[in-house]
Amino acid sequence: MIEKLKFFLNVTGNNLWQFRTRNLFSVTIICLSFLTVGIFLSLSNNLKATARELATNMSIAFYLDAKATPETVEAIRQEIGRPAFVASVKLVTPDEALERFRTSFPELADMAAGLKANPFPPSLELRVKAKASASKEVLAFVEGMKKRPGVVDVLFNQEWVERMQGFSRLAGAVGAFLGGILILTSFFIISNVVKLNVFARKNEIEILRFVGGTNLFIRIPFWLEGITLGLLGSLLSLGLLFIVINLFPVYLGTTLGALQQLLRFRYPDLAQALALLGGGAATGFIGSATSVSKFLKV
Amino acid sequence: MIELFHIWKQYQKPYWALSDVTLQIKDGDFYFITGPSGSGKTTLLKTTFREILPTEGQILVNGVNILKVPDNRIYTLRRTMGIVFQDFRLMFHKSVFENVAVPLQVIGVGRKEIRRRVFNTLQKVNLHQKMWELPGRLSYGEQQRVAIARAVVNNPEIILADEPTGNLDPELAFEIITLFKEINKQGATVIIGSHDRELIRHFGDNILFLQKGKIVGKEAHR
Repeated sequence: MIEKLKFFLNVTGNNLWQFRTRNLFSVTIICLSFLTVGIFLSLSNNLKATARELATNMSIAFYLDAKATPETVEAIRQEIGRPAFVASVKLVTPDEALERFRTSFPELADMAAGLKANPFPPSLELRVKAKASASKEVLAFVEGMKKRPGVVDVLFNQEWVERMQGFSRLAGAVGAFLGGILILTSFFIISNVVKLNVFARKNEIEILRFVGGTNLFIRIPFWLEGITLGLLGSLLSLGLLFIVINLFPVYLGTTLGALQQLLRFRYPDLAQALALLGGGAATGFIGSATSVSKFLKV
Repeated sequence: MIELFHIWKQYQKPYWALSDVTLQIKDGDFYFITGPSGSGKTTLLKTTFREILPTEGQILVNGVNILKVPDNRIYTLRRTMGIVFQDFRLMFHKSVFENVAVPLQVIGVGRKEIRRRVFNTLQKVNLHQKMWELPGRLSYGEQQRVAIARAVVNNPEIILADEPTGNLDPELAFEIITLFKEINKQGATVIIGSHDRELIRHFGDNILFLQKGKIVGKEAHR
């Protein structure tokens, strides 16, 4: 068994080397196809992670009437703190809000210093428990609180979470679509490369038949060839993806501001990387198996 | 034993490549099939190892009707045979050793055993000193001997050779048939398709004469 395996690996290696130019061509195509899938996958990963971060740190700011009495503020605070999904409620006074503004926007310090009166209203900041984020219950509560006397405005980052999730789905779908087309192309290329290899080795195949080689014995090296091409292509695509992920932020520089955060790529996790490798091997195997069964009359 | 019953083969109407050929070749026989070009020698050999199927008739090899063996089991028949082609059919990108080792590799013989048997066989055909050469660097006669070594390396019961001396000079042709004779002495049935009268006269134990696909004569000198 081991002898046979060694023999097949040896034959596959020799065959890959013998037709190295066309094999290199198919490895390049597979690599580019899987790189496309990988790029969209990592972009989607990032958007998903950003959406998840936003969702877990979801906060709702209730801006209160500046003239509200401490009793009213306290009553609203208690009302806000009542639902089960609330993790914490914090009162932000106008002075604290002004201080935050100064810290967050130091370039506008002159403008803040020139203010005659503090324009920031008091607010209550509510943090939602991670599991309850963006649930119907939270949404209904926010809608109800908007109408409550003493509350002038409500700021809720749920829309951003939904947008991120939408972008993530879109990136995943675009990746699947483009990658799907390219993988299909790779499949046909592998199929044709193996077909050419079958034709080029017609004499050898015939000899194997005449000396009593089984169908399986003749086919295995071609299958291994397809699998190797697919594996090499997808492995190379993972390497290139690593380079792209590391070089892309350098290429972008700092000109895109907040958008840069969204265009950041996250390297596929182990399961995704293995799935890409498996996909490469499967594409190679199916491509060669189709070709061999179609063009190898044994 | 090889038995052919009423074999007919037609490639193209209205010509018959084989017409009602009935033949029995016993184990250990040394057979020459002869006749002019186009008489059906190659067709007869090809039907025997089932490269082509006859239009009509039955072929039994060791009692098995080879026409009823499914395509995916035909390797069982081929493993009992050694085939030598007129055009050698060698793998020119592989060494002499690798060419001769192929029949052993397909049956899963271990590496050490392959090395031993290939070396011994190449020694018999006097090519052991060139076993790492590529066939393209060998002379015509040497290439033919590589093909013969490949056919006999797994000690087949039957050897079929189609014009094995076709393009060789008389001295080399004599040498090749002597080699087949030696293999036959060790027990293998040898069937050679040839139109070389000189060789047939010298070596022919059994001779089958074909003309236009028909058996027109048989001679047995043993």
